[in-house]
Amino acid sequence: MSTIAEKPVAAASAQKFGSSATQKLLAFGSLVVMLIIFSLATPNFFRVDNMISIMLSTAVAGVLGIGVTFVIITGGIDLSIGTLMTFCAVITGVFITNWHFPVLIGVLAGLLTGSLIGCCSGVLVSKLKLPPFIVTLGMMLIVKGLSLVISGTKPIYFVDTESFNLIAMGTMLDLSAIIPDFAIPNAVLIFFGVAAIAGFILNKTVLGRYTFAMGSNEEAVRLSGVNVDAWKIGIYTLSGAIVGVAGILIASRLNSAQPALGQGYELDAIAAAVIGGVSLSGGEGTILGTVIGAFIMSVLINGLRILNVPQEWQTVVTGLIVIFAVYTDNLRRRKG
Amino acid sequence: MKNKKLFAVLVLLIMFATFAGAQTIYIPLISKGFQHQFWQAVKMGAEQAGRDFKVTVTFEGPESEAMVDKQIDMLTAALAKKPQAIGLAALDSKAAIPLLKKAQAAGIPVIAFDSGVDSDIPVTTCTTDNIAAAALAADRMAALIGGKGDIAILVHDQTSRTGIDRRDGFVNRIKAKYPNIKIVSIQYGGGDHLKSTDLAKAVMQANPNLKGYFGANEGSAIGVLNAVREMKRKVVIIGYDAGKQQKDAVRSGEMAGAITQNPVGIGYRTVEAAVKALKGEKLPKIIDTGFLWYDLSNMDNPEFIPLLYD
Amino acid sequence: MLSEQLLRMEGINKSFPGVNALKDVRFEARAGEVHALLGENGAGKSTLMKILAGVYSKDTGRIIYKGKEINLPNPRAAQHLGIGIIHQELNLAQHLTAAQNIFIGREPRSLLGLMLDEKQMNEDAKKLFAMLRLDLDPRTRVMDLVVAKQQMIEIAKALSFNSGLLIMDEPTAALNDKETEELFRIIRHLKDGGVGIIYISHRMDEIKKIADRITVMRDGAWIDTVNAADVEMDQIINMMVGRKLDEMSRAPGVTGSDEVVLSVRNLNRGGFIKDACFEVHRGEILGFAGLMGAGRTEVARAVFGADRVDSGEIFICGKKVRIRQPRDAVKHGVGYLSEDRKRFGLALGMDVEANIALASMEKFLGFGGVVNRKATRKTGAQFVESLAIKTPSLAQKVRFLSGGNQQKVIIAKWIVRNSNILFFDEPTRGIDVGAKFEVYKLLNRLAAEGKTVIMISSEMLEVIRLCTRVLVMCEGRITGELSGDEITQENILRLATLREAN
Repeated sequence: MSTIAEKPVAAASAQKFGSSATQKLLAFGSLVVMLIIFSLATPNFFRVDNMISIMLSTAVAGVLGIGVTFVIITGGIDLSIGTLMTFCAVITGVFITNWHFPVLIGVLAGLLTGSLIGCCSGVLVSKLKLPPFIVTLGMMLIVKGLSLVISGTKPIYFVDTESFNLIAMGTMLDLSAIIPDFAIPNAVLIFFGVAAIAGFILNKTVLGRYTFAMGSNEEAVRLSGVNVDAWKIGIYTLSGAIVGVAGILIASRLNSAQPALGQGYELDAIAAAVIGGVSLSGGEGTILGTVIGAFIMSVLINGLRILNVPQEWQTVVTGLIVIFAVYTDNLRRRKG
Repeated sequence: MKNKKLFAVLVLLIMFATFAGAQTIYIPLISKGFQHQFWQAVKMGAEQAGRDFKVTVTFEGPESEAMVDKQIDMLTAALAKKPQAIGLAALDSKAAIPLLKKAQAAGIPVIAFDSGVDSDIPVTTCTTDNIAAAALAADRMAALIGGKGDIAILVHDQTSRTGIDRRDGFVNRIKAKYPNIKIVSIQYGGGDHLKSTDLAKAVMQANPNLKGYFGANEGSAIGVLNAVREMKRKVVIIGYDAGKQQKDAVRSGEMAGAITQNPVGIGYRTVEAAVKALKGEKLPKIIDTGFLWYDLSNMDNPEFIPLLYD
Repeated sequence: MLSEQLLRMEGINKSFPGVNALKDVRFEARAGEVHALLGENGAGKSTLMKILAGVYSKDTGRIIYKGKEINLPNPRAAQHLGIGIIHQELNLAQHLTAAQNIFIGREPRSLLGLMLDEKQMNEDAKKLFAMLRLDLDPRTRVMDLVVAKQQMIEIAKALSFNSGLLIMDEPTAALNDKETEELFRIIRHLKDGGVGIIYISHRMDEIKKIADRITVMRDGAWIDTVNAADVEMDQIINMMVGRKLDEMSRAPGVTGSDEVVLSVRNLNRGGFIKDACFEVHRGEILGFAGLMGAGRTEVARAVFGADRVDSGEIFICGKKVRIRQPRDAVKHGVGYLSEDRKRFGLALGMDVEANIALASMEKFLGFGGVVNRKATRKTGAQFVESLAIKTPSLAQKVRFLSGGNQQKVIIAKWIVRNSNILFFDEPTRGIDVGAKFEVYKLLNRLAAEGKTVIMISSEMLEVIRLCTRVLVMCEGRITGELSGDEITQENILRLATLREAN
């Protein structure tokens, strides 16, 4: 016997499932459409080397996007990721170039720095109950300042340690013997690797489950006897570690830690997540979505550049895409 | 309680600052930035001059070259300290004019440096002739690619004086003297190394026959350099300013050469001009601090050592 | 079995800043009994139960559970001891599935505890649902379920702890009669298994049905504990409110005039409203009865313009009107008092005065769009007096008022707005007995003053007592109209379950 017989509800739920799947297809679909349009518009676009260029230019923003996706799903936001990325790069630079530690130690120091700062943000958000927007805004400025102080406002170069540059620009997947130019740089492989691990954590582990649960109804999780503060700190720490990866990637690709860079990258990352369907009010989002979102942004910019669209208009178009993506996502929600 | 204490400390600090300022000749320099290597070199020159002429020099600037408002705040704060003279590298020369008028009314001589101010108020301007410098880069480019072919330019931004002058200086020279050279792309990367790299790659993707690429400041030049490296193409690169990466690239032959300004000289000359103005000496309208072309053949000459900062 | 003491709380004190919430409270419960905890809102029931569930910590006092004094620093500690609670507010993560919500905090794991074992979890949930005879896919997202089913998930969750003591705080607030029956069946089942149940409810009829013993609290203090069989409900109510009430008898019904004020014809909206037609007269109280999800709220929202309809005509005072958004409805004098006061009805962070004036700011604007505070203050004071809103001052934030007084503030807001047709959606939900009677009086008074009141209520007694005419809905259709003596529990139930033949 059923306690409640509500056919319309069951029907509505099925409908909703359908339209959620459409949304995911929509994001992926627009990416494909973009690729097709650009390919038809210019022969220089759809070429192996350009596709690899696009992937490479997506790597940093994409990894940052993955990091911030966790925080956004909890219903928070992290504005510090751009400058934190730089800070991690600077710390790595200090370890490797100034203190002559092995590359591996420097990389670990960078990742640890990211985790540590993420952890600090997490503590401030959960224990002191400060709004994430404010905490991470403060953190953004703090690490920006620290980057400049520690580096003495000068870039730190990795010229003496060639292996560091190989982290991003070397390649472990070189098929250029079979397909010309088909050598995928490690930065891209690392990006995909981070995405795979993050996807696993988000969908298959307890940490991921609580990420969604907290964004959906934090009080419910607390009343279920879960140590909400500890898990939240964990999520911010993980996010910080992922930002550390982005820091290593940008430093390795530029073969230098540029202390003045970084601000503004957080907005690109957040935009990628939002385009990919991560809800700014929390509780919803996927890693795959964020990755697609990051690709939509970089394909768009790459394509417009190759078409010689004036730069001012490239910026306008990007803005329109962000708003349009959020609008379609909203539309889906309202229907549900 | 706590607030009161803090307040007292602040008052003391401010008093001390004004007091200290009143003792010796105090010349604040408001630059366009301070993070960039270029500005660090200007600062070095200014401080050297401070020691030589026994004046107190301070040097500050906003974090990015877009922060016109922050620079105005800094200028306001500097004027409030009643300096004897002031140096300014204006981000937006028109926005600064009301404050400069105030300085003029208070009898504080203003020395413009790096880029000019559209007004008669500055007693002099210590600057690189960016138009002439970029034109020199164009001549070199033409010679290196044999007077014909496609080239592109990557500039740091489209609104600042240096960005406009270097772009126009280069473009106008090419148009006037080298009809067989075609400029296929002018893009702006904000001086951001990573963004400039991705940008330059897209431009090269669109133009498979590109023969030369001019990066109009350090960040842009490094972006072009990275792009050429990543795409493994043969393109003549001409840069601007110095910095370790650019110098290394010139040394290894990846970069054909670059224009260097004299940032240390800009800083030194600015303070020197301020001191002269205070003594009532007549100054020329423009003090050209000079620029030079450097490449593998001459970069180790002793006269370049102070110019090629890391 | 019945005599075995499971829980004893004694000398419990708890203060919040500015409030002495519990004063030397005692309470005890036995295994295998249903112990009702009664009291008006603010009497301290929920606070006491939150202490028992480890949500709040007590200031002083002892809790003895199964013969041992225990400490409850957090919800987890209570859960470990087998004390489960179903909170008054639904505490579910809307984006997670039913099973994920039930097992939050103790998910089955695999791969050395690294991975979640979703399969195991869904199977466990399925077993639990089977025990509750609940037909539900554990993988359904909570947001896709109606409130009643969400409530059942909360119950399933509390049960999954193998609780020896189960606290239910207003578990039927969102359930219809049929679902309530089902819940009672489960409660009896648990009782037979030796579980002690503490049951909080405002619905007196339920208490009579299910409770073995009753404890009454008032103003944060323990009043009495009695055997349910030994007392009349009137006595209990007297204990709760501390004064005598004679309003359990039927109120003198207000009969409206013949003038039709609102007429709705052939209203349709998807699967929610099917061909609804009805008329309402000036000065009457029309009831909308039916089970949860029958489409009553949807009709009100459709007339109010809050949802798009597929088809239908609305006439106000004989004139056909087009209502496409709430603004249009308000212009025509239609007001809607949502069932969820906190979400839709009130600006909780603003004061009484501002809330009353909120919907009609243009009336209070002076030169250059400046709010005329003198006028808003005057209007506010007038309504605080005439509706007997209990508030220390006009500047009190609405958040701090009791449910009944919040409801009155909303009513005042709509009267100021010159609304003549007022939809009341569950006007007494979650407010205590004393305040309920005041709301009833107020509705009667509004009708007597010539306003038209349309009341949606799931409390059958309320509908029977107040309304002169009742429309009953089932699955989006109006299945019948009752008036006068026809309005009985049996008739309403019959119509409410009159499903469309195929």
